[in-house]
Amino acid sequence: MTTAFPHRSPDQRELHGALDQIASGRSRRRRALRAAPALALVLLALAGPLLAPHPIDRPLVAPFAAPDATAMLGGDLLGRDVLSRFLAGGGPLVLNALAIAALVTAAAALLGVLAALRPGLGRWVERTADLAILVPAVLGIMLIALAWQDGGRLAVAAAAIVLGIPYATRVVAAAATPVATAGYIETAAASGERLWYLIVREVLPNLRATLLALFGLRFVEAVYVVSVAAFLQLGPQPPTADWALMIRENSPGIMLNPLAVAAPALAIGVLALSVNLAADALIPRTGTTTEVPL
Amino acid sequence: MWSGAETRVDGKPRADGEARSAEKPRFVLIAGHVVWSALRRLAVLAVLLGVVFAAVELLPGDAASSTSERGESAADLAARRTALGLDRPLAERFWDWMTALPTGDLGTSARGEPVTRLLAGPFPNTLLLGGLALAVSLAGALALGSWAALRPGGRTDRGIAVVATMAFALPEFVVAIALLLVLSLRLGWLPAVTLIGSDGAPASWSMLLLPLLALAVPQIGWNTRIVRAALADQAALPHVSAAIIDGLPRHRILTHHLLPGALPAIAVGVATSAGMLLGGAVVVETLFNYPGVGAVLAGAIADRDTPVVAGVVAATGGAISVVLLLADLVRARTVGVRL
Repeated sequence: MTTAFPHRSPDQRELHGALDQIASGRSRRRRALRAAPALALVLLALAGPLLAPHPIDRPLVAPFAAPDATAMLGGDLLGRDVLSRFLAGGGPLVLNALAIAALVTAAAALLGVLAALRPGLGRWVERTADLAILVPAVLGIMLIALAWQDGGRLAVAAAAIVLGIPYATRVVAAAATPVATAGYIETAAASGERLWYLIVREVLPNLRATLLALFGLRFVEAVYVVSVAAFLQLGPQPPTADWALMIRENSPGIMLNPLAVAAPALAIGVLALSVNLAADALIPRTGTTTEVPL
Repeated sequence: MWSGAETRVDGKPRADGEARSAEKPRFVLIAGHVVWSALRRLAVLAVLLGVVFAAVELLPGDAASSTSERGESAADLAARRTALGLDRPLAERFWDWMTALPTGDLGTSARGEPVTRLLAGPFPNTLLLGGLALAVSLAGALALGSWAALRPGGRTDRGIAVVATMAFALPEFVVAIALLLVLSLRLGWLPAVTLIGSDGAPASWSMLLLPLLALAVPQIGWNTRIVRAALADQAALPHVSAAIIDGLPRHRILTHHLLPGALPAIAVGVATSAGMLLGGAVVVETLFNYPGVGAVLAGAIADRDTPVVAGVVAATGGAISVVLLLADLVRARTVGVRL
């Protein structure tokens, strides 16, 4: 955030950048390392369907059969191969969450900067965010997913985007306010630049770190929303292979074949954790803490 | 604070009129602030109910058709629509429902049952589960946050920060499955499903433990981060450095110098938890077959039963508003009122 102020001279910027690079070379490598598990898992989830040894929609063994040589993770409630369904069930969930995170971040970036440039709108953003806090996310998803019954994943994504935007906009607006009141923005506005130009070319480039961190956090949130909706059977419908749906379908047989529930639960857990680790690494660190040891 | 120290020195209550008159307006100010924020919370709740009412109305189908029996004729359906008042304009029905609300009347469901009776059993169950989870998460977060704050930058501090962040990222049902697999299936300590007694409540307290833990663990993570951050903000203030230089014991600095100032931030964080808890309760209730509002809500949305959905939102929204109001109160007490 301290770099990239356009009113600095190029020399100053270059020097500053070089110092930054020396200081953050090691931490950047560490950051990349922390983002690696999430990247690996996302790639694995997307490649999963290609690795599935059996068809995902036909019974292979007895319902809730214990693991054996044919079905390494046993059978599900209809005797379908848990391993194959497990490999196929991650990709859509991950893609859906990525799309939600990207759309919410993009919309919040535009609206948030607009709210910072136009304080009247900013107050409305505050009020909407206050209202959205009172709606449990689950209720909002239920309302929208049921209003659009054949919507499936799209309906859940729409709900997650609508519910996520107010809060994300507030975050961007808070970060954009100091930039929006900077002298160079006033100069640009006074010289007649259009609003669109102000938002996209003048303010947003200074918020890269905030937006990257916001995207990470929205991805964590989207994994949560998408999996909870699937668990409540609001998104993908039963014959589909989906980790959250597998947990819901197979939990009655948890005594007979615990792996049919444990494997997808572990996968969602590890996905949430690794994405969170990556998001945490993206958050810009501002200075060192000056806390005195007690 | 200065005058307080003075009174303690003379051992006499303050008698001068000036101090008392300075005291009274402060109390009045706080009372006014509380009333004002209560009104604001109520207005927000009313707007929310209006939005939900309209949203349920915009769903395709209506209560008359989704609760109809097989083989009902179109005339029967129209008669039911009239009986349920569905032919009247939305605004009129909303107004009737809202004006009946202060008298404790939540209206009648599409199946002809009073909504109050429909919620009388499940809502206290959900409130019990959510309230306990809130208390557990507050206690856990205060303990972990304080423990970390006593060793800033140390291994404990960093460890707690990582674990707390991780815990908050996990969906409740994943935590629930993990607890179920370990505590019920492997160790056999706790029952895996909730059995319901004849009074509609869980049959034994041990059936409350798994849902409670599943709800509380992610919230402990969230609140620990908030407590830790609030304590760090306080630790940077000069009066805390003064207390450290004076050589006061660490636990005394924590309880007398750090926590009081950190209270408003902690209260706001915990209040945000309330909304997440009630949302998570719906999921956890489904998994453990717990008799709460989750099942009522899911059924009501499928039936397009506007009064029941609005009733559930009013009840949970009211509960969340009360917690938010308490947070406002804590803030007003600690930092004073700005008008």
